[in-house]
Amino acid sequence: MTAQTTAMEALQKELDRLNRAPGLSATEDRVDKIIEMLTSVKDQIVQSGMDTHVASMSITRIQNPIKSTFEKINDDLKGVTATQRKLGKTLDKHFPLKDLPSTHDAMADQESLINRAISMHLLREGQFSVASTFIEETGDAATLENVNAVGEGQDQVSASDNYDDEPMDEDRDDDDDDDEDDDDDDDDEDEYMSPLEGAATGLGFRQLQNLSSLQSHELEAKFSQMYTILQDIKSRNLLSAIEWARSNSGELEARGSNLEFELSRLQYVWLFKGPRVNGLPDNELNGTAGALLYAQQNFWRFGNRYIGEIQQLANAQIYARNLSESPYRHIFSTETAFADVASSFTREFCSLLGLSAESPLYVAVTAGALALPLLIKYQQATRAKGTEWTTTNELAFETPLPERMLYHSIFVCPVSKEQTTEQNPPMMIPCGHVLAKETLQRLLKGTRFKCPYCPAEGLEKDARRIMI
Amino acid sequence: MADHEASKINHDNHLLLDQPLLRLPYELLRKNFRSAHFTVEKESTTLNKLLKETAKGSLDGKTSPEDVVKNLDTMIAKMRGMKRKLSTYANEETRLYKQLDARVAHLRELSDMHSVEDVKYEAWSRKRLDRLLVDYMLRHGYNTSAQALANEREMHDLVDVETFLTMSKIRESLENGSVTEALAWCNDNKKELRKLQSNLEFLLRCQQYIELLRINTPSKSVEAITHAKKYIAPFQEQYPDEVREMAALLAHRPTDKNLPPKYAAWYSPDRWTKLATSFVEAHNKLLGLPTFPLLHTALSSGLSALKTPACHGTQKTTSSSQPGHSQTSMTSTVCPICSIELNELAKNVPYAHHSKSHLDNDLLLLPNGRVYGQAKLDEYAAKAGLAEGQVKDLVTGEVYSRTALKKVFA
Repeated sequence: MTAQTTAMEALQKELDRLNRAPGLSATEDRVDKIIEMLTSVKDQIVQSGMDTHVASMSITRIQNPIKSTFEKINDDLKGVTATQRKLGKTLDKHFPLKDLPSTHDAMADQESLINRAISMHLLREGQFSVASTFIEETGDAATLENVNAVGEGQDQVSASDNYDDEPMDEDRDDDDDDDEDDDDDDDDEDEYMSPLEGAATGLGFRQLQNLSSLQSHELEAKFSQMYTILQDIKSRNLLSAIEWARSNSGELEARGSNLEFELSRLQYVWLFKGPRVNGLPDNELNGTAGALLYAQQNFWRFGNRYIGEIQQLANAQIYARNLSESPYRHIFSTETAFADVASSFTREFCSLLGLSAESPLYVAVTAGALALPLLIKYQQATRAKGTEWTTTNELAFETPLPERMLYHSIFVCPVSKEQTTEQNPPMMIPCGHVLAKETLQRLLKGTRFKCPYCPAEGLEKDARRIMI
Repeated sequence: MADHEASKINHDNHLLLDQPLLRLPYELLRKNFRSAHFTVEKESTTLNKLLKETAKGSLDGKTSPEDVVKNLDTMIAKMRGMKRKLSTYANEETRLYKQLDARVAHLRELSDMHSVEDVKYEAWSRKRLDRLLVDYMLRHGYNTSAQALANEREMHDLVDVETFLTMSKIRESLENGSVTEALAWCNDNKKELRKLQSNLEFLLRCQQYIELLRINTPSKSVEAITHAKKYIAPFQEQYPDEVREMAALLAHRPTDKNLPPKYAAWYSPDRWTKLATSFVEAHNKLLGLPTFPLLHTALSSGLSALKTPACHGTQKTTSSSQPGHSQTSMTSTVCPICSIELNELAKNVPYAHHSKSHLDNDLLLLPNGRVYGQAKLDEYAAKAGLAEGQVKDLVTGEVYSRTALKKVFA
């Protein structure tokens, strides 16, 4: 059991205790009691006809009970505070407030860049309405900044007007239905000023650059389209995806992607399974015959590239009755097929936009959570020694990340233990070993060197720069 | 082996970003309790006193039964008022208990996960990202967006919208030239502010004084002096220099010619911005909140951990990709640092330190100087439908014969 598990358990225990113990609500009952006592005394006096004797007796008599009720309230409160304090102690013990690195905030002046990253992240996640709200809210701030910077007393167009009235992209036509974002549609025609006009009146190109609204508007449209298609795939409708793949077949092929074929194949398989499985109407477009028809109409596109796979699909027709015993059964299992094709689609769609399939912001923050403890440990160590972490080009300590977060090849010269960079690139020498350029130069005796790994020798000019 | 280590979740310090998550409701609980306690103390003392006096008066014959009844009415009204207040505090307490439950539950989920590859970890990490985003938005005053996101993800118990909204309101009021709200807040938190040795209240009182002087009429000047005597003089020992400067301001008005910069600074409108900042600092310190939005912290360490020298280089490298250049399906795992979302942002952070190389196996050198692992070359050649003895460069697309390749030992 790690330390953290015991910490969480201790915390949970205290929390349970807190929940079981009476809280402030218990005191309300006691206050009711006091009110009751006071009211009954008042009634007594009134009913007695304002009798002096009754008045003085009854009021004197309740002094002590009331006082003791108050004392009981106090005890209750003491109990509550004691339980709460215990929770605090547990927090102090197991979750002490560690000083997060605060001496040097690299992100301090980067608000607009961070905002842009967040907007794009929200768009990727399909959070279209939150994204619009955010873009508007941050757009206003950036506009205000620039207004002050420009310092001109002209009527400034507000950020939201600017992008509401933007000329429509062609892509917008594609995603008329599932558009979750309705902010853009309502607009205020009065203050329309096209971005170019705005630039002309001196609002400044910088303002337009800062307003990522132009970019985001387009991006939003694209992501919206992607989400529409993904929804379709989820509901087993591949047609929109196939259409997209066809209209982008040039780029997809250049990338070496098989997406269009993957989709068509899955469509064939899906039809093959017949109306009972795929829920489509039982007609000549469905079932094994329907699949065959589909193949005849569509597979010609693939020429000779997938001839092997297409043959398998055709041969499967023979096994239509006992597919599960055929050698092709694995092609026809669709449990994960739709999910797989969905993620292929997402990957290709994003790549065509020049974006990664996974949100960079998400990866960065997850990596940050892994690296942070090491940073703090390092800071504590250097603080103790008196040296501080200065902003050099390279971190002074290692921050290991899982394999899938290593996106680039890294070469560390075994001799100098340094990473290769553009200024100090990896060099391959004739024997096939690799060294950093600076290392190589240090090994040179005149124009000759000896490989540190093997007996081979070589001339400086025989070493060549390689790109990993 | 190394990857297994790197993927392991180190429970001891994985929750560093989440400390304020637990702290804040706790601090608010304590604050709530103190208010309730204070109310009870005040009302009970008053009531007991009145009760005693009424009883004595009644026994002495000085207080008539009518007066006794009148006093009783007062007492009942007071108690009803106290009950209403307690009810509010009790509700707040219940709400905070619920929040604590939700937060501890969220953090406990992590105990069952042992590797970042765990499918559940991704969901948990995304939740954490959402939390950090809401926190960031709140701190920068993007309140509408913060609420929208919190609503969308249904994570109200995991974020502190109300706290930051209140803080925002007070901050805005300061930026708009009003000290009232801030002073009220100082009053509520007197004891804790004193513990922190905060000078906020003093600065606020000074600003009130300055505003009175700004009007520059004799009557206002008198008011200013009275104000100073009451509110500023008590700080004489703590902040002697400032108190002296305040006194000097009587002789230096904002409309004076050749106003020394020292005094001009006090009259300057950007003092309000400074006050707003001081308030935010005091507020965060009080509630145990970190100085910067947690997102900043996570980002700067994350960006550094991911960054390589190649990310801002000019070469088209294998695994990275730059928008606009041709990429292949195989190298489509785009490095987050190279992405347009983060590339600019990561320019000024240091890159990660590596002590071991990370390269493909069976490296082969193409005649154009590029190096790839054999497996990658084989796969790509097959996909591109090349003849047996040929390979294709994954980035440039150039085709070469296998015989032209050289083995690399790195």
